[in-house]
Amino acid sequence: MRRSLALKISVSGVRGVVGDALTPQLVTSFGAAFGTYTGAAPILVGTDTRPSREMVHHAVVAGLLSVGCVPIDLGIVPVPVLQAHIRRSGAFGGICVTASHNPIEWNALKFFGSDGILLRPHEAAELTDLYHQGVFPRVGGTAAPIPREDTTAIAHHRRSVLAHIDVDAIRSAGIHVAVDCCNGAAYRATPEFLRELGCRVTIIHADPDSPFPHDPEPIPENMSDLREAVVRSGADVGFIQDADADRLAIADHEGVPLGEEATLAIVTRHFLRRDPGPVVVNVSTSRMLDDVCNEAGVRLHRARVGEINVVQRMLEVGSRIGGEGNGGVIAPNINPCRDSFVAMALVLEAMALSRATIGDLRGAIPQYAFIKEKVEVRPRDIPASLRRFRDLWRDADLDTTDGVKASWPDRWIQARASNTEPIIRLIAEAPTEADARVLLDRSREKIVAA
Amino acid sequence: MRQLKIGPSGIRGVVGDALTPELVVNFACAFGAYCDAGTVIVGRDTRPSSVMMRSAALTGLISSGCQVIDIGVCTTPAVSHVVRTTGASGGICVTGSHNDARWNALKFLGPDGALLNAANTEEVLDIYHASAYVRAPWSGIRRVRDGADLARGYVPAVLERLDVGAIRSRAFCVAVDYCNGAAVAAGANLIEALGCRAIPLNDDPSGEFAHPPAPSRANMRQLGALMRSVPADVGVALNVDGDRIGLVLPDGTPLSEEYALPLVARHAFVRRDGPVVTNLSTSRMVERIAAQAKRPCLRTVVGEGHVMDRALTEGAAVAGEGNGGVAVQPHARTFDALLTLGTILEIMALERCSFADLCASVPELHMRKGELAIPPDQVYRVLDGFRERHSDAETDLTDGVRFSWPDAWLHVRASNTEPLLRVIAEADTPERADELFDETIALARRAALTHGIR
Repeated sequence: MRRSLALKISVSGVRGVVGDALTPQLVTSFGAAFGTYTGAAPILVGTDTRPSREMVHHAVVAGLLSVGCVPIDLGIVPVPVLQAHIRRSGAFGGICVTASHNPIEWNALKFFGSDGILLRPHEAAELTDLYHQGVFPRVGGTAAPIPREDTTAIAHHRRSVLAHIDVDAIRSAGIHVAVDCCNGAAYRATPEFLRELGCRVTIIHADPDSPFPHDPEPIPENMSDLREAVVRSGADVGFIQDADADRLAIADHEGVPLGEEATLAIVTRHFLRRDPGPVVVNVSTSRMLDDVCNEAGVRLHRARVGEINVVQRMLEVGSRIGGEGNGGVIAPNINPCRDSFVAMALVLEAMALSRATIGDLRGAIPQYAFIKEKVEVRPRDIPASLRRFRDLWRDADLDTTDGVKASWPDRWIQARASNTEPIIRLIAEAPTEADARVLLDRSREKIVAA
Repeated sequence: MRQLKIGPSGIRGVVGDALTPELVVNFACAFGAYCDAGTVIVGRDTRPSSVMMRSAALTGLISSGCQVIDIGVCTTPAVSHVVRTTGASGGICVTGSHNDARWNALKFLGPDGALLNAANTEEVLDIYHASAYVRAPWSGIRRVRDGADLARGYVPAVLERLDVGAIRSRAFCVAVDYCNGAAVAAGANLIEALGCRAIPLNDDPSGEFAHPPAPSRANMRQLGALMRSVPADVGVALNVDGDRIGLVLPDGTPLSEEYALPLVARHAFVRRDGPVVTNLSTSRMVERIAAQAKRPCLRTVVGEGHVMDRALTEGAAVAGEGNGGVAVQPHARTFDALLTLGTILEIMALERCSFADLCASVPELHMRKGELAIPPDQVYRVLDGFRERHSDAETDLTDGVRFSWPDAWLHVRASNTEPLLRVIAEADTPERADELFDETIALARRAALTHGIR
């Protein structure tokens, strides 16, 4: 297989493989570029638990200090905690050192503005320009700022999330939760959060100094440890977070993964019951959300893939619930970003208020076969491949918000170029797996045909 | 002009100008590769910019796969001590040392705890120029270890070199100006352990300098004024990273920084064989003391790296420079102000004398130092004009031009750190020193004018 790109500078930040393209020089300059972009001001800095965190952290701090910014070190924190803390602390922005769900050899910088939201595409473009220009307003030795620490972010975030949740109902339900933190950034915050909700907590993989026990992406194939923990402990529900705790996937009381697409559907259905309003998801999110919105009689908007695209659309249309189908729940009034803590609290609230099991909540929403595939395509062939895909399905309802999505009343298939690898991602959803396979097979044939 | 100086005393520059974090990261990567991804000790001084410099040094070292032990705020000799006691591959001191607050620097120490010599420095520079860095994969990245406890072993190690009982019995009172630098904690501990009473000045390790940090006579006026109202047996000014020392008489009169080496040398000759090693610009006081003890006085190019390299190969009794940097042998691998202070107190205790008596034992010579601003591209032409100037003198061209006569010497050289021509003259009489100095300055000025310099 050809080597995938070891560096990716995009709207989601700067990602790269440690020991390869993600060098301390590159990170230092991006730290200085971000400090140039925000101006000399306090900037929050946090990390996940990857072994390379100190290297990247010190590079960011050196870059920020060199242009007069005051780095405020939050230590190891979930990324939604850092985002929530930016606005509360009055910082001018934040940088999180995390490659999220990527494998352990990766690390990355995520950049946030003073509103705690990922830099918007045009802002990210300005940052990248500053980096490439490479001229930074350095401060002299007599004006050198001194970094500070702030250890209050996790507690503040917990309080602010729970202010929006019926805590008493959850407490009286006494739910037993098994949770897999993937030895990630939530290792401390998650058990504290769940205990505050009166849950009995069975926690696995909560050691920040151990390597990831499995790939950090919260998908069914990485959930066998959680399954075992649920069964062994007799938990009512299982939760799994990715390394920076923005995404959440769920297992039922038998430890069976519900699929990461189920998280947003369950949360949204519950949320709309107490607060109906428009919903925003990305174009790749399951049609379960169409069903949930139809049931509640609210409008569903679909934005391009990427947290910032969804958040921006939510703010535009006044949406209070939405997110991405990969387990990223966004409730902007609580925290305007993907937040697995918000997701956990809403799932538990749904269970407590409806007195239903997690299996019941899942069963109340239609099931579809949802299949993802990668097709390797040389970058220069990608546009032609996408054109052939579009021609193949020209009789369907076509949407080109992000790649090409062909929809019919009960099924759809989407082809889009990956932001991170020389591949085209194919996603199909249909009533049965056989239906979905037909769509995928016909599409793949067209995409690879030279 | 951008201020950056790369050489055996490390990477020195003006922060925010030529000294950027990217440059520091590059040099830390080069040093990490030079150390073969081994253990590297990192310490820093108290300047605010040292925080940024430290982070840049750490990220470069970590990325190279080094095991970094961060020993926090401490002196250069403490870093040297920890390098030797841990068997580390090297050390980095983040310190602008005697430079003013605009500057900062990295000093590189080898596994012996001494500054890299010229050859080893060249190797680091080769790696830097070729960008031949080593990038550890994620699985080869090691967590930084906190080594604050290791740094605390430095003062006990200094105490082992001294006759603590003798010093304690005198219960000296020491006025000490820390320049708000890295030696505050270690200095206070040492003075207390030696049974002395301390009168501290500028002892807030904030890195805000009340005066320029070099321990020159002019920079010790504050200490002198303090001593005129609060009596002390001796006054000392410590450099920001604790390598250089300046001395003040009990009446508040600051001594030239040239005194530290000769004061220690006489005692060192009694205890240990070997020559004294110093640089070409250092006062002849130490040469006279060496002659009395029938020991050679070897002179090297200016710079601690050169002096210590020669001292270690020659098995010197003591080494140092006229800037207040002294390395008592065989213990010190870098100039060490606190070991020098302890040694001076020990001499006072063992010889049952006052500090003034001790100074009186050093032959009195007369020195004039000065400099002339000349751009770097002109300085060598001007220097060239001096080469044949004094045919009656012994001429040494190792570093600029140095002439010596039985009663005097004159050194004219380009500064390592600034676009300056440095002129030093020393003689048995003040008249002869003035004559040599004034004549040289006038000549240099005239030569500079000829070359179109104002």
